[in-house]
Amino acid sequence: MLKKKWRAGAAGAAAGIVNGLFGAGGGMLLVPLLSAWCGVEERKCFASALCVMAPLCLVSLGVYALHGTLEAGESVPYLIGGIFGGAAGALLLRRIPVRLLHALFGLLILWGGLRLWR
Amino acid sequence: MAIGFLVGLFCGALSGLGVGGGSILMVWLTAVRGFDQRIAQGINLLFFLPTALSSAFVHARSRIVETQIVIPAAISGAVAACAGAFLAQRIDTEMLRRLFGALLLVIGALELKKAWTCPKERDLRSGQAHSA
Repeated sequence: MLKKKWRAGAAGAAAGIVNGLFGAGGGMLLVPLLSAWCGVEERKCFASALCVMAPLCLVSLGVYALHGTLEAGESVPYLIGGIFGGAAGALLLRRIPVRLLHALFGLLILWGGLRLWR
Repeated sequence: MAIGFLVGLFCGALSGLGVGGGSILMVWLTAVRGFDQRIAQGINLLFFLPTALSSAFVHARSRIVETQIVIPAAISGAVAACAGAFLAQRIDTEMLRRLFGALLLVIGALELKKAWTCPKERDLRSGQAHSA
């Protein structure tokens, strides 16, 4: 059990460093690590990852705010959209073909990666 | 404003579906809207909180949390996030953007691989997770 806790700590640290550095992507790293390193069942991954990510985001936000690199005003329309979108996505879960979802998301992300890399 | 709402809606829906909507929002903010990488990162961090809450609220059946894993992961994660966020304030913003681009290329490739290898829909009753 102790070993499992250390592995959980390592998974959290990996997600934390990525999420603090880039402000994104920590969850995408954390979910596979939770199941691969810590043996968290798939059905528990969603909520478990959220519970880890929430404090990470809060801590990162604190650091960004301290450095004056937080423009809360700009984020308002996105946040309102996010509230409805998050609920809609959760409702659509299991109704959308998973392979199509990953394929479209992957292509979109690759396009974004190429644009930012240049 | 309206476009921002729609983009938030789209990225939020992806987040609720368990693929990283936050990374799409980052691409929108930086590559399309021309925000500074660091400012975009701050907006994206804020975006996570309400989106995660609303999807967790709807996603009632998946509200089971493995506490013994979550607590150590959250503690070490918070320390690491603090370090990462401090580093993000010091790294050249151009460099930060390119590194994030590289990360996206890796994630995109993994997503395509997942699309290629994952079993047919009906076998996937669970297995969705959320990302920032």
